Amino acid sequence: MLFSLRELVQWLGFATFELFLHLGALLVFSVLVALRADLFAPGMSWWLVFVPLFAADGLSTYFTAIVSIRLYQENEKRLAVLRLLWVLTVLSLKLVCEVLLCQKLVEQEQARDLWFGLIVSPLFILLQLLMIRACRVN
Amino acid sequence: MSLAQRVLLTWIFSLIFLIMLVLKLDSKIHWNWFLIFLPVWTFDTILILMLVVKMASRCKPGYDPRDGQQTLRKKVWYLLAILLKLGFCVTLCARLERLTDIWLSVVCIPLWSLLVGAMVELGYNVFHYRRD
Repeated sequence: MLFSLRELVQWLGFATFELFLHLGALLVFSVLVALRADLFAPGMSWWLVFVPLFAADGLSTYFTAIVSIRLYQENEKRLAVLRLLWVLTVLSLKLVCEVLLCQKLVEQEQARDLWFGLIVSPLFILLQLLMIRACRVN
Repeated sequence: MSLAQRVLLTWIFSLIFLIMLVLKLDSKIHWNWFLIFLPVWTFDTILILMLVVKMASRCKPGYDPRDGQQTLRKKVWYLLAILLKLGFCVTLCARLERLTDIWLSVVCIPLWSLLVGAMVELGYNVFHYRRD
């Protein structure tokens, strides 16, 4: 659309397979949210609803670790370390945001100190990092 | 447009939308949900205009239609994807504003279609690359 797949892979630093994985997780997550909201599964815990997103983060970390080890063995040490650092930073920021949001949804009124500005703050940091990376890729 | 310009465009609209969403969720502003989604409407309109202009360039005299059959199919899919996203956002805003009382599952149908389509395209790219 606005970006080709090649540009997206370069910019985001994720492999096509990882993007596929995260899209799949988002699809399952949205189905679970809709099921819970429409009272088809009212007893379902919010932590259970967020499981697809956590699983995608875990699988993506595993995939990145394997790719980085392979790159390291092929003497691409700098590339391996840079890729590992970047993906781990992005995934940890995403994970923090997901955990905080889940916590807020579970506790509702009790978690008044946990305002949405705080929950979304990892995403603001991620946006800045993505802008810096875009300048480098360009 | 260069990559940096396209990234800047996406970045600015995402940032404005996130800020407005956070302010609304924290009850700092009491605007209409349709107004909160204004950056989304603007960004999608820009995307649709860019796509329509590109598709219209096929109507220029001397254009060989065999050249870009694949590209046209892709552009039609992109246009459909933006429309699905717009459909999702409009129904979501209508539900949040309590203009309608439809199920969230119904609201999510355009989003699910979009995600399935995107996954099929990505899956095809992964498979195509491996076959090469």
